[in-house]
Amino acid sequence: MHKILQFFYKFRVMFLFILLEGISLVLLVRNNKYQQTVYLSSANDFTARMYEWSSSITDFFKLKSTNAQLAAENAQLLNQINDLENRLVMAEERANGIENPRLPSENQLDYIPAKVINNSTNHLKNYITINKGALDGIEPDMGVVSSSGAVGIIKNVSEHFAVIVPLLNPTLKLNCKLKTSNYSGPLVWDGTDARYSDMKDIARHVQVQVGDTIITSGLSSTFPEGIAVGTVKICELDDSDMFHKIKVELATNFSTLTYVQVIRNANKKEQQQLEQRSTQDSNKK
Amino acid sequence: MLRTISINALRFILLILLQVLLIDNLQLSTMCNPYIYVLFLLTLPVDEPRWLDVILGFLIGLFIDMFSNTLGLHCFAGTLVGYLRYYVIKLFVDEEMRTTGTPGYETFGAIEYIKYVVMLVTIHHATLFALEAFTLTNGWWLIGRVFISSLVSSALILVASLFDKAQ
Repeated sequence: MHKILQFFYKFRVMFLFILLEGISLVLLVRNNKYQQTVYLSSANDFTARMYEWSSSITDFFKLKSTNAQLAAENAQLLNQINDLENRLVMAEERANGIENPRLPSENQLDYIPAKVINNSTNHLKNYITINKGALDGIEPDMGVVSSSGAVGIIKNVSEHFAVIVPLLNPTLKLNCKLKTSNYSGPLVWDGTDARYSDMKDIARHVQVQVGDTIITSGLSSTFPEGIAVGTVKICELDDSDMFHKIKVELATNFSTLTYVQVIRNANKKEQQQLEQRSTQDSNKK
Repeated sequence: MLRTISINALRFILLILLQVLLIDNLQLSTMCNPYIYVLFLLTLPVDEPRWLDVILGFLIGLFIDMFSNTLGLHCFAGTLVGYLRYYVIKLFVDEEMRTTGTPGYETFGAIEYIKYVVMLVTIHHATLFALEAFTLTNGWWLIGRVFISSLVSSALILVASLFDKAQ
């Protein structure tokens, strides 16, 4: 017994080292799962308030470009209102003939505006922190867009803050499609350049041209269909390839991102429950 | 004793703030991610117990991780630097130079100090980027990233040490 204790004492530093490295690895692996604890991420109150404070200083120097961005966004919102009013008028007219006119279920959305308080583009796994949280109605898995296109998906939410997994993170595989041909595939970032991402799984028989627009596919309840993601920058196809190698120039400029909108889908829970029930039913049989 | 503790506590806080509020926001390129918080571990007193080196390495990594949402990554690299520091000092520095004091140009000698910094920073960055890339297989890109980032970090740390008159 004494000898065992002596042995442990002699190598105490090494045991401590191995123990701490073990803890680190466990944390690292657990962190890769989709949900993580809020306390040890930048959504916790202490770190987030620190970031808020620092971004309040840097904001001052960005006022000019931010104003320009807000103006552009206002214009876009006005266009949207216009468009919606037009649709309303048309719907009313149609309603004269149809008994129960109603908005399509997947279109019952609203947007929660939020401000980016921490953002990175130069890591392999980038994250964005925003200044809205559970109290503002934000929940994990909601989609996030900017005035120019898709941004990412909400990962963690605390009371006042939320963390987004942006397109610049290889763990996010956003389902997109080609606007012209409707073929869809996942968009995955390779970790090298914040301006470009790769689109996978587009079979070789599909016609792809440089400059084609890529939009969200609407196949998940996170993003509605048709939000801009980017344009095809390079498209390669070797004789032996099953799929096209497509490099997509992203619509959103992540290095200057300041304001974003979180999409709240009123019917999302209903859709997910229905889909879950269907898979459970088919598993039983 | 109290003086050493307060100086190092101050370094701990200042370097974390500098890292997460300034350096991480520079966003130079994916090839160049300097991590200068390693300076805290490099300038701990030489005669400090080794178990404290390891724990402090873990702690500073944990704080950096909390700010950058990379839980476990910097913990791992920090702990490793804390553990290997003793061996690297033993490797490069003469016995009479490494009994007391804070590592620096004067205490270690300029050449030895530079070797010591570059070696540990490179180990730290290589561990960090290799662990971060875990699933990617782009070897040359990884090597380039380690090389360039280590070079920039080492340069920043060596320049910072010139002005660090706290000891």
